[in-house]
Amino acid sequence: MGKPARPANAIDQTRRMLSLVTYLRERPGARVEDVARAFGITEDELISDLDVLPLCGTSFRGGDLLDIDTDGERIWWHNPAALAAEAAEPLRLAADEATALLVAARAVATLPGLREGDRQALLRATAKVETAAGETAGASSRLSVTFESEGGVFADVDRAISERRRLWIKYYSPARDELSEREIDPIRLVSVGHTYVEAWCRRSEARRTFRLDRVAEIKVLDEPSAPPEIELRDLSEALVQPAAEDPEVVVEVGPGGRWVAEYYPHDSAEELPEGGLRITLRTPDPASLRRLALRLGRDGRIVAPQDLADAARQAARDALAAYDELPGGYDEPDAGDGGPRSVHDEPSSYGGPRSAHGGPRTATGGPLGVRERRYDRQEQGL
Amino acid sequence: MAIAKAERLMNLALCLLGTRRPLSKRELRESIEAYLEAGSDDSFNRMFERDKDDLRELGLVIETVESLDGEIGYLARRDSNRLPPITLDAEEAAALGLAAKVWQQARLAGAASGALQKLRAAGLPEDVDPYGAHSALEPRIPVHEAAFEPLMLACRDRRPVVFDYRKATAARPESRNVEPWALECWRGHWYLAGFDRDRGAERVFRLSRITGRVRSRSGSYTAEVPDVVTVRETVASWAGEIADRSARIRLRTGAGYPLRAKATAVRELGDGWDELDIPYGHGLDAWLVEFGPDVVVLEPAELRADVVDRLRAVAKG
Repeated sequence: MGKPARPANAIDQTRRMLSLVTYLRERPGARVEDVARAFGITEDELISDLDVLPLCGTSFRGGDLLDIDTDGERIWWHNPAALAAEAAEPLRLAADEATALLVAARAVATLPGLREGDRQALLRATAKVETAAGETAGASSRLSVTFESEGGVFADVDRAISERRRLWIKYYSPARDELSEREIDPIRLVSVGHTYVEAWCRRSEARRTFRLDRVAEIKVLDEPSAPPEIELRDLSEALVQPAAEDPEVVVEVGPGGRWVAEYYPHDSAEELPEGGLRITLRTPDPASLRRLALRLGRDGRIVAPQDLADAARQAARDALAAYDELPGGYDEPDAGDGGPRSVHDEPSSYGGPRSAHGGPRTATGGPLGVRERRYDRQEQGL
Repeated sequence: MAIAKAERLMNLALCLLGTRRPLSKRELRESIEAYLEAGSDDSFNRMFERDKDDLRELGLVIETVESLDGEIGYLARRDSNRLPPITLDAEEAAALGLAAKVWQQARLAGAASGALQKLRAAGLPEDVDPYGAHSALEPRIPVHEAAFEPLMLACRDRRPVVFDYRKATAARPESRNVEPWALECWRGHWYLAGFDRDRGAERVFRLSRITGRVRSRSGSYTAEVPDVVTVRETVASWAGEIADRSARIRLRTGAGYPLRAKATAVRELGDGWDELDIPYGHGLDAWLVEFGPDVVVLEPAELRADVVDRLRAVAKG
């Protein structure tokens, strides 16, 4: 792109200071604490803005600089006349600002299961911001975000959290292909593409994260929820972090299996000739990757550990045996070995996201087992 | 010590907002210390142009006016820069407070906070108990793809781009010339829809498959931008969510809960197996194979062949 990257903080700080000038002008003696909260910044950030503002004005000469200072508790502006009242009026929204706020608000408003009151508030606010932004709001139609959630489960979890009650769930684990029942004390709902509930699991006495579309049944119990005080996870980091002590798994894939590197957190992904990858990842339970090995078919294979590769091979043989027992057995494919039949799933000539369906996007079908196992594992250490 | 950029931008903004008549570059240079210290005319000019661009990014409408004697002047008129009156109640304010925290991409996170700050300055009610009613919900929009920001700007400014793209099954990336229309995030992944100039048709790209830099092209769009761009439907059809057929499978009792959840009919066979009718869309074969010996495909024959084919590949190891 044409222009060199700019330090984003100078832009953000300027934007903030322009709003601060408007805000402070109306509120002589505003408290540092209150202003920082209203602006969603730390007190230190606010103080650094207040260090710059006295150097700003319509001219650096004479009395034109803004005489703003603070004793660390309150903020005083001694010469508000240095800026004409109309120069301190609230500023219109920039295209990026309107886009960022509108796209996010629309996305949240579409979350299935959101309380109707919250949804209505979001929609009203969105409409008002659209009106205020005027034509700059138009750019926001170029971006859209959908959060996935199970509305009924979401609503029950939301209610349990607000009423501080325990939940009983029947939960599907793809790694083991089984349902298990447990009681959980829900802490919060997190939507990152899919929606998860972060909770204290009473069965394992540990923090666990459950994906809502894998909750087969849910009941809000009468018992109060009492999760222990735990530090909330920092959501700016990936939901899954590798655990150093977990066994290593090595997978080699062809071009058709590159999606594995997009869906599984891994230590390394080495390019192989002809567009393949050699992916090294770690999981507390390598057996849970049998699903992956089966799904990959001829697009990839497990290199290590050997018993995982053997287990996948055995599972495939057992599965094939069932076809032999079917009436009429199974017809040899015409193309014989290497037939192109199912190698290429590409549904069309699109250059698009074929492995959209290779990955764990289907409601519960994806090979996400390992991710959540790993996540669970990580949580146990906390 | 060089004067901080934020201070310089702030001074330029205040000068342009505070004036009723256009100010010439000379006047601005005399009023802003950082410009006086800029040294040569050249470096001042470059700095000034960049700063104007930055302020415009922040939403400032800066007008350029030529006076009778031919001198160029600049000003940011109040009526084109003022936020129209907007009144939001406490619930709406809390809703926007939640929305402003959603972006995990630096530029948009900064822009969303900036929008909220402007609204605060305009009197947006403050949360008595910030996000109190909403603390249980934390939506986040993840942006891991490096191509996101340049493509977002290209969509916004309608600039054609070129990038290297690796198709799902391709051994190596190839160059694509695209007029970008819209970006969409679905299940945590970003997709681009646009007009592919070489193929002369609309295409959808997954951002994680773009390798290397996204470069801008000069010139304007050659194809008309549709009013509504539906990335998601295209992706959903690839994802096998648009099933137009039905398949019959046998599933071991107790296994394959997600298959049962999708089934349109379940019949207990009583011999440790159940028979299910499930929607048959793209990618079903790969999914069924994951269940190994717990699934047997009965029909259609085509699906059975695909599954057996996949199983054979694994069995051979």
